[in-house]
Amino acid sequence: MNGTDIHDLSDDADYAAASKQGSSSMTRNDSSKRSSSTDPEDAEVVYLKDNVTIHPTQYAAERISGRLKLIKQGSSLFMTWIPYKVQSSNARPSAGDKNLYTIKALPFSDIQSIRRHTPTIGWQYVIVVSSGLAFPPLYFYSGGVREFLATIKQHVLIVRSSEDANLFLVNNFQDPLQRTLSSLELPGSLASRIPSSSGSTSDNNLNNKHTPEDGHLSSTQRNNKQRQKSHDPARDISINVLEKFSLVTKFARETTSQLFRDNLVDGHGPNEKRRTNWASKDHQSQDMASNDVEVVPKRVPVPSDPIEFDKITLVWGQPRQHPLGLQEWSTFLDYEGRIVDPNALKKRIFYGGVEHNLRKEVWPFLLGYYSYDSTDAEREYAWSVKKSEYETIKNQWQSISPEQAKRFTKFRERKGLIEKDVVRTDRSLSFYDGDDNPNVRLMHDILLTYSFYNFDLGYCQGMSDLLSPILFIMKDESEAFWCFVSLLERLGPNFNRDQSGMHSQLFALSKLVELLDSPLHNYFKQNDCLNYFFCFRWLLIQFKREFEYEKTLRLWEVLWTHYPSEHLHLYVCIAILKRHRAKIMGEQMDFDTLLKFINELSGQIDLDPILRDAEALCVCAGENGAASIPPGTPPSLPIEDSSIYHNQDDEVL
Amino acid sequence: MPSRRRTLLKVIILGDSGVGKTSLMNQYVNKKFSNQYKATIGADFLTKEVEFEDRLFTLQIWDTAGQERFQSLGVAFYRGADCCVLVYDVNVQKSFDNLNNWREEFLIQASPSDPENFPFIVLGNKVDVDGGNSRVVSEKKARAWCAAKGDIPYFETSAKEGINVEEAFQVIAKNALKNGEEEEIYLPDTIDVGSTSQQRASGCDC
Repeated sequence: MNGTDIHDLSDDADYAAASKQGSSSMTRNDSSKRSSSTDPEDAEVVYLKDNVTIHPTQYAAERISGRLKLIKQGSSLFMTWIPYKVQSSNARPSAGDKNLYTIKALPFSDIQSIRRHTPTIGWQYVIVVSSGLAFPPLYFYSGGVREFLATIKQHVLIVRSSEDANLFLVNNFQDPLQRTLSSLELPGSLASRIPSSSGSTSDNNLNNKHTPEDGHLSSTQRNNKQRQKSHDPARDISINVLEKFSLVTKFARETTSQLFRDNLVDGHGPNEKRRTNWASKDHQSQDMASNDVEVVPKRVPVPSDPIEFDKITLVWGQPRQHPLGLQEWSTFLDYEGRIVDPNALKKRIFYGGVEHNLRKEVWPFLLGYYSYDSTDAEREYAWSVKKSEYETIKNQWQSISPEQAKRFTKFRERKGLIEKDVVRTDRSLSFYDGDDNPNVRLMHDILLTYSFYNFDLGYCQGMSDLLSPILFIMKDESEAFWCFVSLLERLGPNFNRDQSGMHSQLFALSKLVELLDSPLHNYFKQNDCLNYFFCFRWLLIQFKREFEYEKTLRLWEVLWTHYPSEHLHLYVCIAILKRHRAKIMGEQMDFDTLLKFINELSGQIDLDPILRDAEALCVCAGENGAASIPPGTPPSLPIEDSSIYHNQDDEVL
Repeated sequence: MPSRRRTLLKVIILGDSGVGKTSLMNQYVNKKFSNQYKATIGADFLTKEVEFEDRLFTLQIWDTAGQERFQSLGVAFYRGADCCVLVYDVNVQKSFDNLNNWREEFLIQASPSDPENFPFIVLGNKVDVDGGNSRVVSEKKARAWCAAKGDIPYFETSAKEGINVEEAFQVIAKNALKNGEEEEIYLPDTIDVGSTSQQRASGCDC
């Protein structure tokens, strides 16, 4: 465990991707050159580096490469990172996804720090923290980190942290005035940006449609886009050690921003003129515009919900139905046991769930373990094949002798961790209670076998929570194992060492709240809650700790239908937050209080109304909602690419 | 701005998975022990009112997930901490070996203003297990490590039996308070901040 390496996302797959990327970068350069031609005459590009890439997910296919530039205009230095254009229509990520991450004319006066990471394998990358939030790591596929930092050093005041040689602080209190301001709680410094409630909401809803990368925008659209960008939670996607600096420099930053804005106005005249300066020609003036929001005192009444549940004219989340029973189930099957209309089945289950005694039969379909068009006979055959396959994998660890185990630290540690966790998973349930409960033993064996089946992912806390209901329903060891495998095909990234699966969900959640409830989003932003860590447990184990056992089973089967969205669980989060938004904002909860509040909602959430709300929110969000979720965000299936083998080698248990 | 009296003391409990972090916290705050605590996911905290030198304080005790894979979350939870409690299981060598990692990780992520003097406390938990027969880390060894790390106070505890838990947390509260007060003196002082941060501002050597 090494402090500086802990956040490295590097792995062997990076190397594979690097060579791929290298060959394609040549062709990409041509198209990206156009963007530099739009740079204005009075702005000077002082640094330019191609193939600087972000990794929104762990899949190499979804990496987004772009061009990083440092641009000097007057006495100000700006950073831009513009992704290359999509080459084919079915390429992932899409143009819209790329827009999520674009860094447009970020002034260095807003940047607090830059941290350089040098992983042992893979490329150097930097994490830039600005306006209190961290941008996704920028990987320098073609090198140039040193030059990047050196260039910055030439133009702005940058100092190396005395405690961490890889950390470079920008705007580090060098100005005595700033220093003084920063340590005083001046009422003015505390002021925060407040949305113009109803107005900004509709704006957000409208403008979340993708802006074409080189399209022509009306000034209204541009304004909207700017405003949206000013609340861009993309800045918060990375969970990293730099966040703390934002606290230290918060007041200073606001002062600097203020000064910066004043200078800009002086230099370029009123708003109208500013919009035509170089940056906005490139549609890059968002960050400047973000300073152009009125400043009001912090204490404000709770802004109203932009989506008024009662007034909405949409078909509201339909009433829940009774669960699917055996008789009705048989109507979905043909004479050989195929499911004739999977979508109708999913819809039915979405609205009602499944009767308990039928779950054992239905869950393997929902989880994707059985295909919908398989026959009874095929499934019976598969059962025996899979059973022996399971035994083979299980035998791999069962045959490890004590002598061998002595020399197999990773195995011992994994086993130890699993042993510790299974005896504290759902032991109050009669299925798992009591000493020497055979089902606890089964859970142990399945988890350890899984950690051999997927050695890279291994075992991670939370997995036992995901397995418990599956074993409880399936009873059979091998069936439970394969259903668990199917579930982790989708949720495995939740447990990635680099936490990429969790990052992308937290990021998507933040985007969706911004879309569906901008006052709440702004509240979180002002209160340093944009990391959404208070939803971490919800997402990691699919609300397993939030509902009674039976309700969890219901929720899961509803989520697994992926009707009306693969990511309904994110809308469930928002539905719960919205139910409590007045309390959260009214009581001015800070991060700690909010976390405690959310943790204590456990067992207090009424599932059915939440599901109706979630459905309605999902419908409301529509395509804009879908576009807010980066590709590959769990539980989306990973993109098939057999050449990429995600290696989780270091310190995996 | 006049210095306000600090009444909230934030304590972070760290250590390997299964060493008894949740149990220690619950034993101290609720005087209860359960065999059925679940593995902590994310983080949670409990609060307890403590009286010290005729003043009332709220001790906010943070319990975090012990698996290394979740350490990157620390940055959100560790900030503003006044004391850090490092816990190991006296029956598990690895949990003791990892103390140093936990300590360093905490210092990186919480980034206290004075890392050299930030108060840590070490608890060797589960001394009750098997009447001490399964113990693998000796008290002597643990104390030696604590001494080497700047005289970190050390307690041998049993969350299950309630052994030394109260005593340990009294020291935790005391040291958290001491740290909090030092910060209090340091923070509102706007006049002479200059010297320290400017000395650190060595040139960028890149």
